[in-house]
Amino acid sequence: MSDRDFEPPVQAVEGGWTLNFDDEERAFLTNLLEELRGLVTGPADDPLVDRLFPKAYRDDEEMEAEYQRLMRDELVVSRVAALDSVIARLEAPEPEIMDEGETVAFMQSLNAIRMVLGSIIGITDDESADQADASDSMEMNLYEFLSWVLDWTVRSLSPN
Amino acid sequence: MPTTLEPVVVADPNLDNATSTQRPWIVIVWNDPVNLMSYVTLVFQKLFGYSLEEATALMMDVHEKGKAAVASCGREEAEMHVFRLHEHSLWATMEQDK
Repeated sequence: MSDRDFEPPVQAVEGGWTLNFDDEERAFLTNLLEELRGLVTGPADDPLVDRLFPKAYRDDEEMEAEYQRLMRDELVVSRVAALDSVIARLEAPEPEIMDEGETVAFMQSLNAIRMVLGSIIGITDDESADQADASDSMEMNLYEFLSWVLDWTVRSLSPN
Repeated sequence: MPTTLEPVVVADPNLDNATSTQRPWIVIVWNDPVNLMSYVTLVFQKLFGYSLEEATALMMDVHEKGKAAVASCGREEAEMHVFRLHEHSLWATMEQDK
């Protein structure tokens, strides 16, 4: 195998998983994750985080309010814990091997960035997704890059 | 054998009636244009222990029919499932079976 062979961005290896990013990519992803952390811990009524805190009860406002009162903060804590673990990993990539929990946190956090980007780009249904796909904007390219990394992460975590 | 009488268990007076608490809660995942199909399938396998075939069939239901019921259980358990699906940014809601 030469150095020029393709290396997936996320890979299942003996004993765990590895991220294969260069320093620039690590810094770039860290930046995005820190921005997401700011949004997640920011105002609850920011429309950009709507997708990260979905409704649990669609048809019952009372039960929904009660659910959010009890669980929204829990979900913030869970998202922040995942983000912090991924940011720490990207900033200090040793030891190289990640365990399953870290890899799942990476997957969840990456997908959460896509959720926010989806709101920014205006992807609200399959039709607008196709339109965005054709737009070739910077945000769309970033969204597609993250989708590509996410898909490899999913593959690396999928049971055979 | 105990010689004293067992205490009588009375129904919780706060509950409307017995049947409304016994009807199961259904956890529903709704279609959304952002989550990847492969990702949704993996989340179903991971959270509910579905086989690849079962998880793929449910994911296709979400994608094509707009939603799928992924679990049927008690209310507390349903809330836990909804929470874990929300951690993965899936659009999950719960409602009591009619």
